[in-house]
Amino acid sequence: MPPTPPDIGQDEARMALDTVEHRRQQVLAEIDVPGWYWWFLALGWVAVGVGTQFGGIWAVILSPVLFGALHAALAHRALSGRYRTGNLSVRRDVAGHQVMFAVIAFVIGLWAVTLGVALVADADGARHPSLFASVVVALLVLAGGPRLMAALRRHRARAGAV
Amino acid sequence: MTAPRFDELIHPSTRLSIVALLASADWIEFGYVRDQLGLSDSALSKQFSTLEEAGYLTLERRVSDRRRRVQVRLTPEGRAAFDGHVAALRAVVAMAESETTTL
Repeated sequence: MPPTPPDIGQDEARMALDTVEHRRQQVLAEIDVPGWYWWFLALGWVAVGVGTQFGGIWAVILSPVLFGALHAALAHRALSGRYRTGNLSVRRDVAGHQVMFAVIAFVIGLWAVTLGVALVADADGARHPSLFASVVVALLVLAGGPRLMAALRRHRARAGAV
Repeated sequence: MTAPRFDELIHPSTRLSIVALLASADWIEFGYVRDQLGLSDSALSKQFSTLEEAGYLTLERRVSDRRRRVQVRLTPEGRAAFDGHVAALRAVVAMAESETTTL
């Protein structure tokens, strides 16, 4: 083991390690999807709701398919969690894969919630159950998406501290 | 596991902060590092020059949206030096703790 300079004491080493950890946390704070992503998801959800509610049979079939295709095209980079802004690219091993898995699970959950709300609204005699359900879920996206990312960042921050 | 290797060049607080930021990223914009560290452009450029001359980082200048941007990234040598330095710091702390336990 190469010699450590004798003038480096425990306190100085600890302070240096604290600096390293503080800077690591600053980069971890950048793990997120781009700001436009939740708006894209929410507005897309409402658009699908409008298509399903007011369109013909083709709109009912095509609007979710088109939205899904557009989402898939944009998702790969956006859901990596490494490019919240154009200021930096978080390393893949630092960002992990949780962002993509969490958002995909979130989206699958949203489909289930949409279906459930639409069925309940329909049973309750709502005039536009699909539109109502899509608006409810869009609000859930805008409120829940950033909270989901914050929870993931806390998880990443706890893992692998210096 | 990385072998401990104390690095005099990295150890000063400002340079340690720069390298620690870069170690968690593929690249970082010059302006982001400047804002996080609260340094002036000239002070940060000076630190970057020192680290660049040592072969620890590279600066890539590019024009995007009519703005000049500088992306900074650690070289493999810089990353290895940082990992070795952190291992050396941990070794100092571990040694001190083991001495305390022995006493």
